[in-house]
Amino acid sequence: MTPVIMTVNGAEVSATVEPRTHLADFLREQLLLTGTHLGCEHGVCGACTILIDGEPARACIVYAATCGGRDVRTIEGLADDPIAAALRSAFTAEHALQCGYCTPGMLVSARDIVRRLPDADEDRIRLELAGNLCRCTGYNGIVRAIRRVLAQRPQDVIVAKPPLPRGQFAEVREAAPTVTRADAAPTSTPGDTLKQTLRLALPRETVWRAVCDPALIASCVPGARVTSVNGDRIAGELVASLGPIEARFAGEAIVTYDSHGGQIKAHGRDPASGTRLSADATFQVAEDGPQASTITLDIVYALRGPLAQFGRGPVVRVFAAEIADAVGRNLEARLRGEAIPEAPRLRAGSLIWRALWRWLRGLIGGR
Amino acid sequence: MKPAPFELARPANLAEAAAALAQNLGEARLLAGGQSLGPMLNLRLVRPAMLVAIAHLPELGAVAEDADAVTIGAAVTHAAIADGRTPDVGNRILARIADGIAYRAVRNLGTIGGSLCHGDPAADWLTTLTALGASAITWSKTGGRAIPLAHFITGAFRTALAPGEIVQAVRVPRPSSQAHWGYYKACRKPGEFAHAMAAVLDDSARGVRRAVIGAAGGPPVVLEGEQVTPVAAGDALRTAGLDAVARHMQAVALKRALAEAVA
Repeated sequence: MTPVIMTVNGAEVSATVEPRTHLADFLREQLLLTGTHLGCEHGVCGACTILIDGEPARACIVYAATCGGRDVRTIEGLADDPIAAALRSAFTAEHALQCGYCTPGMLVSARDIVRRLPDADEDRIRLELAGNLCRCTGYNGIVRAIRRVLAQRPQDVIVAKPPLPRGQFAEVREAAPTVTRADAAPTSTPGDTLKQTLRLALPRETVWRAVCDPALIASCVPGARVTSVNGDRIAGELVASLGPIEARFAGEAIVTYDSHGGQIKAHGRDPASGTRLSADATFQVAEDGPQASTITLDIVYALRGPLAQFGRGPVVRVFAAEIADAVGRNLEARLRGEAIPEAPRLRAGSLIWRALWRWLRGLIGGR
Repeated sequence: MKPAPFELARPANLAEAAAALAQNLGEARLLAGGQSLGPMLNLRLVRPAMLVAIAHLPELGAVAEDADAVTIGAAVTHAAIADGRTPDVGNRILARIADGIAYRAVRNLGTIGGSLCHGDPAADWLTTLTALGASAITWSKTGGRAIPLAHFITGAFRTALAPGEIVQAVRVPRPSSQAHWGYYKACRKPGEFAHAMAAVLDDSARGVRRAVIGAAGGPPVVLEGEQVTPVAAGDALRTAGLDAVARHMQAVALKRALAEAVA
């Protein structure tokens, strides 16, 4: 618990908060200021927009413990504000709300538009409102209400703030870091599909035997673990991390083999984030020469839940290529009897996880 | 959703912040404006044991300028840049970029250094500042360095920063007065993550002709000199693994950025 002292609606508030408590929960649950609404709780919908030091901010992605010394003002604190009063009247006159859920945040943003952009036209108002979602009005009434207040030319406009202070930044030595990029070159087709090619300096039969040994393949995938093999069903888990993002997927795959190839159907879930992944893949092991072979994977996948927001297509593809590269290196080392050079942990994100998972499942495919 | 529990450190200076990171190696993350990390924390995609808050540190909130460049503290907000409270590199280039980031409520807290360190491939600053030839100025116990932004991101959400190394500022070289600048990003809705983005700097007086394509899944794709063509961009993006639809959107973004730079 962290002690914090801030100003809320003009009064000093002293409280003890858990660091993870965001400002909107603090306002609603501890101060009972329930005018601040919570919609998405990840900074997209704007329902929780309040004022911090006079500027609009998302209360759901600011933590109360970091607000020491700040001046917080909620919709309750705008009761006597002249522009807010004019906006309330205009919202009524122009039918700028229906259910009212977005309205507290909408009023805070509308007041900011009126004060900061006194010359805003309809296009600019609509642009500014992009950060406040309303699912009732279609925005027409809201835009009319804001234009009505702007036409009244309120006096309380924002005066330009002073330039930031000048400072000195430490002298530095010029140095570029070494950059490494995966050299695996994935190709792709439209939609949530992924084609991954892995070239190995090993004979086809050696690779095929490895592909048929789920535990061996799993040991080559950083962060992957097989928990049970039951016929063609393989259960396992995969920890994938991409920068700060970490997903721990538990799931199951059904693997079927034909001649030097097969199919994988896999699904998994990260309980912490509620992210779900499902994938269908086909794989083939082809001969490139006496000491060379290629594993190709064609994957169709779906990622649902929080991770999908960050697991955008291009990110997934690049991540998958990096994973394939790591698995290829580890598999070669393993089959040559060398130690696997990298810690068994995948450095990739959600995308990786998907790609990896399917791929892993495929590779794991026990019989 | 609510974040998983974490401890919060509020250091008084960069040395204390670095110490807090060092004492919790791999478990602690820096928190600046929190406008990208906050959503990930709430969605529990990120579950650090400790957050080290640095947005309040005065040494990260200042600016500096000389004849060649503008230096902006890492914790300076997008809104401060958009409002012209920082020196610009000419023609309101930085202000216009800042004004297009997310939404005003996000710009009021989100910081330039935090955006770079978050390492989202679709972030505005990463692509545009790379095109402008900017460097991240870092601080560490053993001395800082200047990391050109073209080498700052090693992959999506991953940076070249060493453990305990903190970005304290961004140094942006001034283009010449004859330079042409163009920036275009494709969003279905204003403020959302871009599906494609391209920035172009054509500054023959300084011998620079550069296009940078972002939102490509990994580090920004940098094209220099003769390479600044849609064909070369398409080749680079194919190598980067983008599908035909994504490449087409990027090609359109590049054409529009080039058109703005010619205008």
